[in-house]
Amino acid sequence: MKFKASQNFAPVIPTASMADIAFLLIIFFMVTITFEVDKTQVLLPRTAIRFEIPKQAAYVSVTESGLIKVSSGEEISTPVPGVEDVLSFATQTVATDPSKPFVLKADRTVPYDIIDKVIDALKQAKVEVIYLLSEQTLQS
Amino acid sequence: MKIERDTKVSDAIPTSTMADIAFLLIIYFMVTTTFTATRGLDFGLPKDDDTPREIEREDSVHIHVQPVGLVVDGKPMQLEDVLDYLKPRLERNPMKPVIVQTDPQAPYGNMVSVLDELRQGEEKIGIEIKNISIPTRREIESFWY
Repeated sequence: MKFKASQNFAPVIPTASMADIAFLLIIFFMVTITFEVDKTQVLLPRTAIRFEIPKQAAYVSVTESGLIKVSSGEEISTPVPGVEDVLSFATQTVATDPSKPFVLKADRTVPYDIIDKVIDALKQAKVEVIYLLSEQTLQS
Repeated sequence: MKIERDTKVSDAIPTSTMADIAFLLIIYFMVTTTFTATRGLDFGLPKDDDTPREIEREDSVHIHVQPVGLVVDGKPMQLEDVLDYLKPRLERNPMKPVIVQTDPQAPYGNMVSVLDELRQGEEKIGIEIKNISIPTRREIESFWY
């Protein structure tokens, strides 16, 4: 007996599962995304020792040009006119949460004079821990 | 003439554009995602109830970070030699204060490199440097002058 070959294959690419894959990727991105409170672009110093910075830490960032931005960790960072304002910001933040960690995100080329004043303001505000944000040292 | 009504209404939900929307969202997330640095070097500041101790300069190791290079206890030194210099002193007194003072014109990165080197004491010379101090200019002026 001769079987008749079926010729009814439609020339289509099966795309039924494409949306499933796409939504899976969307869910992955949505779960892993972290909203940065500080998007200041700086050239971070490099260190071999690095510790994980606690979430919700307050940020003080200093750019190469000396612009200072602050964020309590809950809102986007905003520029402040001078170092004196860092003290009032840190005092307010510490008054709300005395154990609040602070992150110093500064450009590695910025003169230490500015950093010294920022650290001094944080010390005066009774900040307990400062994290110096850094990049991993390049392995030689 | 009787016009025949088209009754072939599809009962399927149109999903052909769903993949387009999904990929649009993926592209949005991919573009807006930024890889952030979430690690850094920590240093604790003295607590409010800590009684300030009088430290004589002679009792401590004084590292002065210059715009170019370092001066340790008055002697120019390479960064990689600092721990070897500290080792015998810390063996005699593990709590010996190491004071890092940075020139106002020196780049911030230089101070961080010194601090990073000191924090690697346990790994490189087998002694953890417990007493690292980074006084600010105001503190130096008010305590020492």
